Amino acid sequence: MTPLARGLLATAVLVLGSVRPAAAAPVDDLLHRYQSQGAGPFSAAAGEKFWDTPHVDAASGEPRKCALCHSTNLSATGKHAVTGKAIKPLAPSANPERLSDASKVEKWLERNCKWTLGRSCTPQEKGDVLVMIRSR
Amino acid sequence: MVRVWDLPTRLFHWALALAFAGDWLTRDASRLDFHEFLGYAIGGLVLFRLAWGWLGTRWARFSSFPLSAAAAWRYFRGMLGRGRDRHVGHNPAGSWAIYMLLTLAALQVVTGVVALGAEQHLGPLAGVPSFALGDAAHAAHRILAYAMLAVVGVHVGGVLVGTFLERENLVGSMLTGRKHAPASDGVPARGGVAGVMIALLAVSAFAWFAGGRADARMQRAIAALALPRDPRWQSECSGCHLAYHPSLLPARSWQRLFSGQHQHFGEDLDLADEAVRQLEDYAVRNAADTRPSPVAWRIARSVDTGSAPLRISETAYWRARHERLDPALFKSVHASDCGACHRDADSASFSALAIRVPEGPPPARGSK
Repeated sequence: MTPLARGLLATAVLVLGSVRPAAAAPVDDLLHRYQSQGAGPFSAAAGEKFWDTPHVDAASGEPRKCALCHSTNLSATGKHAVTGKAIKPLAPSANPERLSDASKVEKWLERNCKWTLGRSCTPQEKGDVLVMIRSR
Repeated sequence: MVRVWDLPTRLFHWALALAFAGDWLTRDASRLDFHEFLGYAIGGLVLFRLAWGWLGTRWARFSSFPLSAAAAWRYFRGMLGRGRDRHVGHNPAGSWAIYMLLTLAALQVVTGVVALGAEQHLGPLAGVPSFALGDAAHAAHRILAYAMLAVVGVHVGGVLVGTFLERENLVGSMLTGRKHAPASDGVPARGGVAGVMIALLAVSAFAWFAGGRADARMQRAIAALALPRDPRWQSECSGCHLAYHPSLLPARSWQRLFSGQHQHFGEDLDLADEAVRQLEDYAVRNAADTRPSPVAWRIARSVDTGSAPLRISETAYWRARHERLDPALFKSVHASDCGACHRDADSASFSALAIRVPEGPPPARGSK
């Protein structure tokens, strides 16, 4: 390959890569996976309701909900309920890194559902929440 | 009234008194920058006084106030009787206080520089003494400070008693230089030497405190003490809290922490076995027991071999270092948030120069 051809190819890859909706694809993959598990259709309104619904923790007796740490304004910085650490905004419009890595999304959904609900979330709950977050 | 104390001797006296008072008031680690500067000033003053003991005017010379137990004894006995000697320069008891204070001040400079070099990577011996030597020097530094305070107390008491017995305003004479004495005992002022001393002190203070210098010293200390970090550790641990450096807990604590990863302070980390293996390996290789830093060395020593604390704030060293802080501080600042006061928490250097305790309620970190 000549240097010119290599340069053209690299440019083409760059242009195509940036045109492709990078943030949406991992979420679509996850939504398809949840659908294959029997969930769907997904609703941002249901995700929004789920977000602010408290669940009483069995051990401590405290009500917990997603909004406790992430607040209901997803464009704002959140605060970890235990350590107080600042949590960067979840809304992709405020923080483009969000929803860009499917394994990261799954990891945090799993970990945070367990803490908040005392169980893993259902594919339906996860799908609703992801659709809601993506819309912000 | 005749001048018996030249100007450099008086300047030395009051500069030493002020520097010692300042060093006493800044003995807390959070004011180390002032403390260090005043320590060097004391070192310079002691060196000056040693030279002036040979080169100074008559009553400032060591030959005029030899260290003699017999003479001091005679002086004390004379105090009780009637026939009291008058001393134009230092009396035999005062001489003891002076030699003791000079010795203690010199020892304080030496122990301070050794501790500073070992614990903070600062000063002329930065990084040279072992942590153990630095620790011993620091312990001696604390004890000697009290010894010095005690000698200062005896000295001030002696001055007051002497003022009464000798009917001479001794404090005033150290200010004006003048006492009741025959004119033949008078000494020159030596104002030029005093001028040079003031200029040196002023230039050193400017060089030390001028804009940006303190910050540059802090950055150098942080860089010298910073420990290597692992990107995986950083990304995995910093999701919910500061990625505490492994050097802050012993290896057995990290092993216990990873074996309990499904109940990690109420969270299920649910890490894959391979991730656990890698993280634990890194933690054990850099744990406090490997003693990679002065803080790690102290933490490792403070934890009983039979215990494996999961919180850094449970170690005896952490507790001892933070017990004098206002408890209200930990209502507004979570103890897990090292970075709230330690600017260098990320690099695990924990330099004393990088401590900034927030005053009053700190601004809300993060918002709704």
